[in-house]
Amino acid sequence: MSSRIKKIFEDNSKKLVTFVTGGDPDYITSKEILDKIIEKGADVIEIGMPFSDPMADGPTIQLASKRAINKGTNLETIFKICNHIREKDLSIPIVLMGYYNVILHYGIKNFVDKINSIGVDGLIIVDLQPEEDQELYDNLKSKNIDLIRLITPNTNSKRLSTITNQASGFLYYVTITGITGQKSANIQELKKIIPNIREYSKLPIIAGFGIKDKNDVSEICKTADGAVIGSSIVKIIENNLNNKEKMMNEVSSFIEELKKGIE
Amino acid sequence: MASCNGSKSLKDAMNEALRDWVTNVQDTFYIIGTAAGPHPYPSMVRDFQSVIGKEVRSQIIAQENKLPDLLIACIGGGSNALGLFHDFLDDKEIKMLAVEAAGLGLSSGKHAASLSGGKPGVLHGNKTYLLQNQDGQIEEAHSISAGLDYPGIGPEHSFLFEQKRVKYESATDEEALEAFQYCCKTEGIIPALEPAHALAALIKIAPKMSKEEIIVMNMCGRGDKDIFTVADALKIKI
Repeated sequence: MSSRIKKIFEDNSKKLVTFVTGGDPDYITSKEILDKIIEKGADVIEIGMPFSDPMADGPTIQLASKRAINKGTNLETIFKICNHIREKDLSIPIVLMGYYNVILHYGIKNFVDKINSIGVDGLIIVDLQPEEDQELYDNLKSKNIDLIRLITPNTNSKRLSTITNQASGFLYYVTITGITGQKSANIQELKKIIPNIREYSKLPIIAGFGIKDKNDVSEICKTADGAVIGSSIVKIIENNLNNKEKMMNEVSSFIEELKKGIE
Repeated sequence: MASCNGSKSLKDAMNEALRDWVTNVQDTFYIIGTAAGPHPYPSMVRDFQSVIGKEVRSQIIAQENKLPDLLIACIGGGSNALGLFHDFLDDKEIKMLAVEAAGLGLSSGKHAASLSGGKPGVLHGNKTYLLQNQDGQIEEAHSISAGLDYPGIGPEHSFLFEQKRVKYESATDEEALEAFQYCCKTEGIIPALEPAHALAALIKIAPKMSKEEIIVMNMCGRGDKDIFTVADALKIKI
């Protein structure tokens, strides 16, 4: 298990996890946005590796991926962004999130060696199921990088055993059946399901998808160990493409606001 | 499922269908018309389509009292080809030829020939040959035929390609258009643009074979749906 992820969950306080697409709207601005998010107190940062066909994402993150790719973002860009963060902050966990083809194409071993040398702590691959992830898992495990697994409201108990069997770092509970940035989190269901997941795994459980504001974060953190907020941040970027100062200010105040939701 | 995003291609429609399915999974079935996508869809579609090969076998034996020497089919995702081939895969002496869409030509970068011009990758829940760039981003396919306009191919075809059990070639838009016209004039049949690719290969290969040999080509669709596309390509006003 990544020592940084292990450490951050030691104090049992609730965690704010943020997601933005790396390289959106461009390389320089993306680094500045992440600096700001970290400065304002995000506990874990997820950085999206843009993909041409983001099947699990709604229009907001689809557009972000497109903006990033159009600006030439590839894995090398993402590595540079991670490097930039790690040079400034030795303790914040960095989790990369994306789709399998980009990694497969880069080469699993090359990819893992690279993210290990930069100090990435975890990986979430949306379209890679446990039955097919052994090679990636073994490579990551040898470097103490966590392969973070997804659980949905549809996951039955048999499947839950398969998923939690080799899970590490934390578990990612998808609060809805659906894609990012669309439906609102189903909090009633989450309150029923998360205690059940805890029967299978002692890992922290972070909830994501459909979590839009401070109230959602606050409600969800009554049951989960933390909440991921993604599309709402990306939407601020999208709405302020022509005004960087306003973009930064709105991202700042939004993260400050969300932090209040978990306190 | 209407495709609102991307280039409004088959690839984007598949993305949207998968997004809709995961959103409405409680009351929705995902159905796909080609032998691709997440397991078990490729094998399900293959099994449904395999009736083509089974009927070919019984009919050709009834009519000719022997099995064919060569099977030809066009290939986008690959369901009609797999449907024709599947029942004959163990008949080692039967040759099989599948024809991908080469669009404006394999070297133009504007084609849909995943096996001839792609590399293995993962998309839409299956590992198969895909058209992709140096960063692993999926590229847009191009073909005059909408049914072949997809940057991937069913995973079983990738397997048969690597096993060399089936030979995979390609035909350009132009070759398909010529074959379309040839078939209309000589047979009185309007082929769809998809099997027009198979016809293009057939026209090349048939003269090299003996008259005793039997070729079965899958005419997998009718071309009345394509007359406007063809007229447009031939600059004919209708």
